[in-house]
Amino acid sequence: MTSESGMTSPPDAGAGLPADDGAEPVPAGSPSSGARVLVIDDEPEMQRAIRTYLAGLRFSIEGALTGGEGMALVARWHPDIVILDLSLPDMDGLEVCRQLRAWSQVPIIVLSVRSGDADKVAALELGADDYLTKPFSSRELVARVRVALRHAARGAGAGGTDARFETGALVIDFGLRRVTVDGKPVHVTPTEYEVLKYLAMNVGRVITHRTLLQAVWGPHYETEDHYLHVFIGQLRRKIEPNPSRPHYLLTEPGIGYRLRAPD
Amino acid sequence: MARRQPPARSGLPDRRLEGIIGRMPYIVRRPAIPSGPRASLWPRPLARLDPRAQHRLRLLLGYASAVAGVALASGCIGVILRFVRFSNISLLYLLVVLWLAAVFGRGPAIAASILSFVAYDFFFIPPLHRLTIGNPTEWLSLTALLATSLVLGQLTAAAQARARDAVESEQRTATLHALSQLIVAEMDHEALLPALAARMVDVFSAAGIGACSIILADEHGQPVERALVPARDPFAWALSLTARERFAEAAWALQHGSAAGRVVPAPEDEPIATDERVVLYVPLRSARGVVGVLGIAGTSRIRALVAGLSAARTLGVPGTPVGSPTDPQVVLFAAFCYQIALALDHIELQQRAIHTEALRESDRLKTALLGSVTHDLRTPLASIQAAAGSLLDETIEWSAADRRAFAETIETSAERLSRLVSNLLDLSRLEAGVAVPDKRWYPFGDIIATVLDRLDLAGRTTGRQIDVALPEDLPLALLDHAQMEQVLTNLIENAIKYSPPESAITVRARVVEPPRELEVRVSDQGIGIPAGELNAIFDKFYRVEHVDLPWDSGRPPTGTGLGLAICRGIVEAHGGRIWAESAPGRGSTFIFRLPLPDSEPRVTLPPIGAEPAQGPASPAELTGASR
Repeated sequence: MTSESGMTSPPDAGAGLPADDGAEPVPAGSPSSGARVLVIDDEPEMQRAIRTYLAGLRFSIEGALTGGEGMALVARWHPDIVILDLSLPDMDGLEVCRQLRAWSQVPIIVLSVRSGDADKVAALELGADDYLTKPFSSRELVARVRVALRHAARGAGAGGTDARFETGALVIDFGLRRVTVDGKPVHVTPTEYEVLKYLAMNVGRVITHRTLLQAVWGPHYETEDHYLHVFIGQLRRKIEPNPSRPHYLLTEPGIGYRLRAPD
Repeated sequence: MARRQPPARSGLPDRRLEGIIGRMPYIVRRPAIPSGPRASLWPRPLARLDPRAQHRLRLLLGYASAVAGVALASGCIGVILRFVRFSNISLLYLLVVLWLAAVFGRGPAIAASILSFVAYDFFFIPPLHRLTIGNPTEWLSLTALLATSLVLGQLTAAAQARARDAVESEQRTATLHALSQLIVAEMDHEALLPALAARMVDVFSAAGIGACSIILADEHGQPVERALVPARDPFAWALSLTARERFAEAAWALQHGSAAGRVVPAPEDEPIATDERVVLYVPLRSARGVVGVLGIAGTSRIRALVAGLSAARTLGVPGTPVGSPTDPQVVLFAAFCYQIALALDHIELQQRAIHTEALRESDRLKTALLGSVTHDLRTPLASIQAAAGSLLDETIEWSAADRRAFAETIETSAERLSRLVSNLLDLSRLEAGVAVPDKRWYPFGDIIATVLDRLDLAGRTTGRQIDVALPEDLPLALLDHAQMEQVLTNLIENAIKYSPPESAITVRARVVEPPRELEVRVSDQGIGIPAGELNAIFDKFYRVEHVDLPWDSGRPPTGTGLGLAICRGIVEAHGGRIWAESAPGRGSTFIFRLPLPDSEPRVTLPPIGAEPAQGPASPAELTGASR
């Protein structure tokens, strides 16, 4: 496991939001124990279910029933991760996402009822890290929470200076611009390298097609999803032990791609 | 189907008639209203004339032939008499008379009789070249000649007429019979109406009909053209309902049950027609009343045809109907109209029967559906309630194992409920046509990987070997990824359920053509499906009954019975088809094919750094691909 630094305090809340007072010091150590989870969902049953399960794993839980209440709690309580339902009574979940991202980098997992990919894609492009479709199993929820927390820890600590990325047998050496699988070097084109690099720097997060296209190919590329599919297929043939069952370059169907996070 | 061919447009050669009198070049016409499809053996230009003119021409020809025949016979007699003395040589004239009676009818025969009488008297009875008769016995033979030729002529003509009538009558019967058979044979009413119109044109083309249309009433009682034959004939344009007057006439005929029509000018670009053009809309009546309208366009002779219809007031066409209701052609036309009306009746009743049957079937399905759904929803709910209630019962001390068992029951039942609800919703949406696939270009390999990953996560594939075989160059397919994931999930779960744990399941995809399609096969080596049920398994709520899984004696397979119905709904909504192949005891393969449009995008993203320095170029331009 890579080393994890302690959580740094979030930046000062912007104007108009309550000042940070009375907050308890965040315990150091593994982010999975004692980490603060804020659940923003208007259904009490869902609140109770998530709370009960996560509390059993020694997370510390708070709940908010509306978007406004949720944002206030983010500012006041400084959760380590926010679970946000997209359908809220007072405002659109996407709006909450957008506003939060304006002043906070807290990991956000959005929940939605299965109704197509559009709202999930929108949430991810507004800055959410991952998504879950209701109904979901508690196992899935915990797995994603853990991944998101690990990513946040890595991001906060690394600051982009990590020279090496490793997940499973896949190693990307940023300094040497070299990719190896099982120690054996793999020849990738510069474009393929950039794609891998972007996904690695956002490991564990779901990157939408559009985000990946624009990050690697530029702002004029938005909807060439099908091109991307074939491109990723070619890349998989280079780095995956079994290209038809990808292990590293994972598809989020209809949404985007992500790189498997190290265990 | 063996049936007598009705007269074709060019007319049925009248073999019977020819048999009687040898190979005659012309067909006799009764000197009344011309009738029947007989004109074919006329030389073409003559056939186009008005029958009255034809008739006159024939008579002329007949009399001319009489003269010529008598002259010829006289010449022959003269020659023969030079060498041999026959006393009955005058009988040669009889041959001429008989021939004329057979071919041209009474008039020329009588003329020939008299002429031969005169000729024989003049040329061969002394004193020669005089009309007087020296020998009184010669009078007798002359008179006998005249009488015989007159009588024989009449008899022959009468026999001829009767024979022809019989043949015509038989032909009309055959025509009607063929029409009825056509109606009975042609189940598809979309094809029947044009066939009827075509038959009408065929049979009555000699009566002047050039084009025919069948018009029915829509739900507001307005005329709607349902067949127009022939589509490209110059007469056909005259019938088109797009012209306001035509529409009004057809509507009038429909409403009032009387024929309506008018003389129509020929279009300007057409070569001069010799006949004026008439359009008539004739109501078609059955026992139910007016069931439709028959539009006919042709020469002005067609006015004669409507004389046989009851309440025939022909509106808008100058002059009263010229035909007589007893003319066989008119009778035939009326019979045709009645048959068509009956056919329309038949179609209507058939459609009502189908509709009623569909309603009945739908009701039956709804009842079955409700029964099934109620049971399937209540059962897991009951389990959940029981387990939760037990857990909450404070009077009983449950062991940890018990509590675990209850919790598992709740989880399993909740999952079952969840799947049933999902399936029901999906199926309802598919049936309502609301689940329109959101098609995008997608690699099918990704769908397989996603589904297998999900099933792995849910623990359904533990211990199962699932092989995936895909060609490396499998093209992108145009599909809704969420729906296709569902199809594949259902198929793979079925394969898992109905095959022994140690057997392998295979998923294959490839391109087949023609036409170009993506074919996906999911195969297992399980219990298989009996041949008779290969179609039924795709029905809603079809569940396998009395199935023993040889490797799992405990539980019968459970399922909602909706999985394959949903698969079929989705595959068909994509324009594809799905079916199963199986050998009981050896395994099953489920196969579906999706259309692969040729417009698959040519796929290249440029290497980065290759962007043009100036302005936003369209990426499609850069890669030269078409969307």
